Formats: sequence, C-alpha cells, structure tokens
Amino acid sequence: MSESSSTPRVLQKSGIFSSSVIEDIQTKAESGIYRIRGYGTLRERRWATFDDLTFLPCSLTRIPLEGYREKCSTKTVLGSRFAEKPIELDIPVMITGMSWGALSYNAKVALAKGASEIGSSNTTGDGGMMAAERENSKTLIYEVLPSRYGINVHHMRMSDGIELTIGQGAKPGTGGLLLETKVSDEISKQRELPVGVDQRSPARHPDMLGPDDMIIKIEELREATGWQVPIFVKLGASRVYDDVKLAAKAGADMVVVDGMEGGTGASPAIFQDHTGIPTLAAVCEARAALEDMGLYGKVQLIIAGGIRDGVDAAKAMALGADAIYIGTAALIALNCNRPLYVDDYHKLGTEPHFCHHCHTGQCPVGVTTQDPELMKRLPIDEAAERVTNLLRAMTLEIQMLARSCGKSDVHHLEPEDMAALTPEASAICKVPLAGTRRVWGS
Amino acid sequence: MAKLTCEGRTIREINAEIRRLLKDGEAVTVSSPGARHNLGVALLESGDVLFDGSVGYYCAGLIDGVKVRIKGSAGWGLAESMLSGEVIVEGNAGNSAGAAIRGGALVVQGDSGARTGVSMKNGLIIVTGSCGYMSGFMGQGGKMIICGDAAEAFGDSMYETICFVGGEIADLGNDAIVAESTDEDKQFLDASLTRYLPASVCANLPDGGDFKKVVSDRKLWNFKKSEWKTWEQAL
Repeated sequence: MSESSSTPRVLQKSGIFSSSVIEDIQTKAESGIYRIRGYGTLRERRWATFDDLTFLPCSLTRIPLEGYREKCSTKTVLGSRFAEKPIELDIPVMITGMSWGALSYNAKVALAKGASEIGSSNTTGDGGMMAAERENSKTLIYEVLPSRYGINVHHMRMSDGIELTIGQGAKPGTGGLLLETKVSDEISKQRELPVGVDQRSPARHPDMLGPDDMIIKIEELREATGWQVPIFVKLGASRVYDDVKLAAKAGADMVVVDGMEGGTGASPAIFQDHTGIPTLAAVCEARAALEDMGLYGKVQLIIAGGIRDGVDAAKAMALGADAIYIGTAALIALNCNRPLYVDDYHKLGTEPHFCHHCHTGQCPVGVTTQDPELMKRLPIDEAAERVTNLLRAMTLEIQMLARSCGKSDVHHLEPEDMAALTPEASAICKVPLAGTRRVWGS
Repeated sequence: MAKLTCEGRTIREINAEIRRLLKDGEAVTVSSPGARHNLGVALLESGDVLFDGSVGYYCAGLIDGVKVRIKGSAGWGLAESMLSGEVIVEGNAGNSAGAAIRGGALVVQGDSGARTGVSMKNGLIIVTGSCGYMSGFMGQGGKMIICGDAAEAFGDSMYETICFVGGEIADLGNDAIVAESTDEDKQFLDASLTRYLPASVCANLPDGGDFKKVVSDRKLWNFKKSEWKTWEQAL
C-alpha cells in the first residue's frame, strides 16, 4: 500500500491568510483600487453587542404589567429643548436618512408611507427632498449633509426637523459614494451632477469646520426654519463621549449616534469593517456625556446602527436612548435579500441572504436601484405595508419587554432592568455580570 | 427706505424685522451690524437690503430672490446655499464665500478667503481681488471669476464649474486644467464684469481675453472604466 493512500490528507488553512483574505489581496492586485460595497460591516469576529445583555423581568422583587393588555405608552417627544414645535411620534422607532439615489423612488415613497401609517417619521438623505416623500410623510426630517446636494431652504421650511449630519456609522470620517450606474438622469438632475459620474460625497461641510462653527450653523438653521423645528446633530460613532458633549454644547435639540454596525449604499469596505465603535458602546458613551453635562433627558438621544428588532431597540432604550433609527432592517422589510428573482442574485455572483451589492445598482428586488424595470419589482403600497408591519412588531416587542420589567412607558426602561452576559458588556454598560452582583472592571 | 438698527436686538429679532419690512415692499437699511453672525439668513422676499457695516458668518445664507449689499466685510459662508438673488460685499469675504450656491450672483469687491465657491452648484461668483486656498473645490456648476490671483489647489476636484482667473494661479488643484478661452467666454466675462462692478473697478481689470479659463479635466469623474468590471465582480 502506498503512503499516499494510507495517510489521510489534511488541508490546513492559514489563520492569517484565510480564503477571504487571499481573495481580497488578489482582487486588489488586479484592480489597483480599494474594495467598494454596500450594506454595512461583514466582519465575523464578535465584539460586544446587544446580544450580550439580557433583561431581568419582574418576579417577586418587582411586579410586571400584564404583557398583552395593560397600557404601556410608546409616545415619543423629541426636541423640546429649544424648538417651538417638538416632534411627537406614536412610537420610538424611526426611519433613518437614506438617499433617493442610494434607494429607488419606490423604496423612498414606501418608507415614507409605511412610517406615516404607524405614526413614525422618515428622513430625507443626500440629494435633498423628493416631493412624493414630503407628500407621503406625516413627519419628515430634512438632512443637511456635507455635500449639500439639492439643498433648498423652502424644503427645509416644509420639514418637521433638521438633521445636521456630521458623520455616519458605516463610514465616519468620509463621505458616501454613488457609483455611475445609479447616477441616472433623474438623480443627476436632483444632485446637479453630470450623468454617470462616480459621485463621491465630501467628508466635511463646505462652510464649517469645528464645533465652534457649528454653534453658528445651528443658529443659522434655526433662523431658516423660524425656530420652529428641532435640530438634530448626527454623528458617526468614534470619539462619542467628546463628540456628544460638543454637539450638545453647540445647541442640538437631539443627538443621533450611529454605531459601526450602521449600513450604507456604497462605501469603501475598509470603513465599514474597521472604523468606528459598536452601537452598544456608543449608546453608553453618549449617555455618560449627556449625564456629565446635566443634559440627559433634556437633549434627546437617538441611537442607530444595526438595530434589528424590538429587542435591540429596547436594550438601547434601557441604556439611554430616547428613540431608535432603523435603516437596513427597514430595507429588509421592503424585500432586501428576499429569495425572489434568484437568477438576478446569481448574475451578481451572490445569493439571497448574502447580498450586499447595493453599490451595483442592480438590486434584484428593486430597493437599491435606479433601473426602472427593477424598480417595478417593488410595488409601493405592498412594500409600505411591510414597513408598517415591521415597525408595529418592533414596537410590540419593546412594549412586551417593558411590561415584563414593570414599566408603563417604554421610555422608563433603565440599565437596572438588565444583566450582562459577558464581562465586556458588563464593563461597557456598567450593568452587573449575570450570576454576580458586580460590574466588571469597577 | 426703512431703517433698522441691530443695537439692542437679537439676531432673531433683526431677521424677523427685515423679513417683515421686505414683505411690506420696503427697501431696508440695517445699521450697526457689528460683524454679528447669521444676519439676513433665509430672506425669501424680493427687495433690497443694505448692511451698513461688516457682517459675521453666514450672512445672506439660504436666501432666495433678495438683493443684499454689505458696506463692509463679511465672515465665513457668505450667501451659502443661495437659490437666487444678489449679494454684493464692498470689502473682503472670509472662507467659503458662496459655498454650495445653486443660483444668483455673489460679488466680492475685495479679496475672498479659502474655499471660495466650494461645492457651488450653479450661479455666478465674482471676486475683484484674489481668492484663497482650494477655491472652487468640488464645484458642480456655475461660473467663478477671480480678477486677481488664485491661491494653491485652485479648482480641485471640480465637476462642471467654469473658473476664470485674471491674475496668477499659484497652483492648480487635482484634475484642474487651463483650457482655451473662446470668444463666447470673453463676451461672458465682459458682460458679467460690466454688469456687476463699478466702471472705475472695471477700468483696472485685465481684458476679458486675458483671463485664464480653468475647468475640470474629468479624470476624477469616474474610476477607470476598465476597473468597473472588476468592481462588479470584486465583492
């Protein structure tokens, strides 16, 4: 018997140069350019997330509310610090800013309709406000971004809130991309760009640099909107504690902190995978910053970045968030990654549930495309209903957890309602590690 | 002509009063502006407003249709995001004058700071003096005329803004090139300068034909086409 047939063959993979690393190196060796894709981080290595916390419902020490019956308020008021017309929502889950360009027309309108149906809000995005978005949004937040594409004072004045975006969780410190297949005639007109360019948005605002300028900029935005509507400042989560303090000092009514799990239509992959801090850590730093300034509860905190369901949302709220933004989850409700038109996923070299090809503009289900034929695959009313349903289900999940913790208002959830399942989560969130009475590291 | 003093009034009160007077059809003279920030923001009525002194940041920002004259100098972000109208500053302008404007005309009768016309989408900017570092950065459309010198990185990463420089260009920005001027360009320059500048100023400016025309070389508009297929597969 030969040696080769008697010895089992063992393939030993490098822990450093894994298959995906080899593929990445060889792709860049061909292209000479960094990788670009959509969706958000694909990192497999775990970091502390909301899954590392568990709720501690009532038993004898506390009394629960009836889970399916008793009143548990979800009313959410944002922006009462300086604005004359704070935003009042029926639920604490809102739709984050995603541009018409990154998303199709049908997707944008469906999000607006779906959110409005359940008393939530919608947000514009890079490129400005679509008329149909305003018409179909009960509450619409107008984003003022570094690119200022489509900036229009009249649209600002038609909005219910202004969001001054400094950064985004998927790519803090850099601007977004909209590749040529998505810079259609319509999008080019909306953004005043040549058709078919690879649009790369700026990282900095054109007329302000640091936090001192931002104080004046916020006053300008208030003047432009008659001091009526609240001003949000949105930050990509990096140096959260200091950034939140600066935003609050500059006069923001609300601060939005977008963690590293946040999504994007197209960005350099390295930013999605290797910049920013996790949403769990971000909410804890943000709360600490506001508490240290004596502004917790006065400046509202909105948390974004990879929020999947009512459980994530409830945990973020227990840690200090007043409201939650969802983006990718809402797109998944629209049909993102649903096993429809599977052949078209294959044409992109992927499969349903594995698709992160938003940047190609060839979205098989019509969500992240400007192709009119693909867009037809997303009927607006049906898609809007799914968005409403998701928001309703998430709200019910938050309420159920709140009731089990004895709360008659979802905003009464608190860190004491949870235990940590890992030492890291305990140290970050300052809640005791399960099985101990100790906060790790304290 | 209605007169309004800034003394003893908040910015909110000053702007509200300017808007009320414009609505009543009055031309407004605003005295003692004291270089305060956010004067004349979001004026959406047509009419004339004169600031009798220097103004701070974002003066005449987010306006649509009004004509503003500043008898002094202006801080950062003058006329930023203007949709239409006319802003004339008789002195110098700070950084980011005319940032992201989508229409209208901004005239700086002195020098302007860094990033003049940054991200401008349309409209016209004229600077009779010189402009600072990185002016024209990411300009998407419209025209910018610098009668004096342009500092380093001029016209960096532009899309379709067309710039004209009467003096020296210290250094062109990424993807900016000097293109050949046409007769049409000369006519445009002569007409624009005559329209917006006093004859005494025009008399001392270079002839329209002597301005250098700076445009985008369009090499940054797209990643190389040959790479597109790679991106498509490189997922």
